[in-house]
Amino acid sequence: MASDDVPDSTDWLSTPLSGFAAVEAALRCQVCKDLYKTPMITSCCHTFCSICIRRALSNDGKCPMCRATEQELKLRSNWSMEETVEAFSKARAAALSLARSQQDGARTSRSPKRKAAGEVVAEAHEPKRLRTSARLSRNRGEASVPVTPSEEVEEQIVPDSNNDEEDEDYVPDAPNGLVPCPLCNRRMKEWQVFGHLETCPGPSAASPSRNTITPDNPSSFAQSHRKQQKTLERLPPLNYSMLKEQALRKKMSDLGISNQGPRILLEKRHKEWLTLWNANCDAAVPKKRSELLHDLDVWERTQGGRAPTMGRVAQTAAVIKDKDFDGAAWAARHDSSFRDLIASARRSRQETTKKMKTEEVDKGVEGASESSTRRYSEPVVISSSQPLEDGPTTADNVSDQHRERRSDAAPGLESTMPPSHAEPMAWELSQRPLASTPSAEGASARIVDADKY
Amino acid sequence: MAQSTAHRRLLQEYRALTNNPPEGITAGPVSEDDLLHWECLIQGPEGTPFEGGVFPAELKFPKDYPLAPPTMKFLADVFHPNVYPSGLVCISILHPPGDDPNHYEHASERWSPIQSVEKILISVMSMLAEPNDESPANVEAAKMWRERRDEYEKTVRDGVLRMLGL
Repeated sequence: MASDDVPDSTDWLSTPLSGFAAVEAALRCQVCKDLYKTPMITSCCHTFCSICIRRALSNDGKCPMCRATEQELKLRSNWSMEETVEAFSKARAAALSLARSQQDGARTSRSPKRKAAGEVVAEAHEPKRLRTSARLSRNRGEASVPVTPSEEVEEQIVPDSNNDEEDEDYVPDAPNGLVPCPLCNRRMKEWQVFGHLETCPGPSAASPSRNTITPDNPSSFAQSHRKQQKTLERLPPLNYSMLKEQALRKKMSDLGISNQGPRILLEKRHKEWLTLWNANCDAAVPKKRSELLHDLDVWERTQGGRAPTMGRVAQTAAVIKDKDFDGAAWAARHDSSFRDLIASARRSRQETTKKMKTEEVDKGVEGASESSTRRYSEPVVISSSQPLEDGPTTADNVSDQHRERRSDAAPGLESTMPPSHAEPMAWELSQRPLASTPSAEGASARIVDADKY
Repeated sequence: MAQSTAHRRLLQEYRALTNNPPEGITAGPVSEDDLLHWECLIQGPEGTPFEGGVFPAELKFPKDYPLAPPTMKFLADVFHPNVYPSGLVCISILHPPGDDPNHYEHASERWSPIQSVEKILISVMSMLAEPNDESPANVEAAKMWRERRDEYEKTVRDGVLRMLGL
């Protein structure tokens, strides 16, 4: 089991720093149990990965933690958490190995760890939040109180105060009367900005300010990347019951995703794409569209239309049957098992031949080969009748493909894979010779050849 | 091989369960090829008629786990008000909030993506100790539990002994 590449908060338990299990657990999403990826906070103050909460909400519209009704629109980014997680995951490996290596000297291992924790706190941009919340409490005429969850929400819900602060930050720094475009950061006169925004190519255009960012200032790095979000537009949810199937298919092809399959699958796929896309819009460094398409493909293979609904053997058979099945790669990968199968098939044929020889001693060698021909006579009929439909030229093709399938599927496939999973022709072709005799590799090819003449 | 969400999450849970196993519970995937099928062993809680028994069960996870809960089925005979004669376990944590045919479970007790294998198995252990006879899966057991507790406990104990081959 590949459990080594699955780090978990419980890794700390066996070290002198078992207390860090709780620290790490707090940095993990309760839904995927992984470290937060693009954490979002709900209006009930619970934090989840963007993709996890979006998936959960599109499933039942409730916060997984407290089951309060929630909408995707109300989600807000939890950037401090994101930076904390980022800093922690950078420090984790070294800290953990140090903790493990000093199992017995608990005291020595504690101090560097504390330093790592200190870094985490320092890198999270606390000051800004504190200022905002202090101001909020002043507005309400209260004495400053420690940040409580409810205040955090208030901060999230009142974006105006945040925007004000951001405006204060960057509007005044226009030394030559020029202001940067909020999207591409190009500098221009203030009155030009609105006109420019209509045609702004977005952050992909070279921006001088971003080039100057150094990696040792992670928070400002993340901040500048945040501006990208504005170019990525979130997709609105569809009311599937109001949509005709044709319209839905059209929409999906407009989005550039597959519009094949039954209606239920279409809706599921569209929903998943929405979730993937919108979660990506939240990300500090959004993925490319092609990566998202790959994610959708993974979904398709694990939960969507191409998800395995059958056992492993049948699953393999389905892979082989796939249109874009790479036969050469498959042959290369399973070369050794093919050889084994061929060898064992040859051996068993020799044995049967030998047995026959002993049985039909009088007839000698000729008789034996005759009898083996007789044994193949049944499959010959089948393979000769089939190619007629596809035209005789495909006979060789078919037998080639079928040889690959058969060798892979040989051990016990006939008992586990019901014929309904395969096209009848392939099924017949691949099964009959096998079922009738464990014949040598290529015997069927020979059969077809023999049949032609 | 690309990993699905369910796959990844189950690996994570398996990892946590091996690192920090809860008392009286062992669980893990049957084979590496199919992480959606687990087997687990639950010890009969002390101080109950199930004490001393070790109950094998299987967990089957849906492809969209953790959005939907797994199903759990005892592989041995378990005479209990909340276990169907087939072995299928019927407790609120294994029911999605959407469907509650009997309207007796609080939404807060039911499945949510934040639940886990560990929590399910702990719930099952406490279910063994304290049956819920409000919506019995095994009516006979529920009736016996309610009306003839001694007989119920004896039946359970006999079942445990039989299972252990004694």
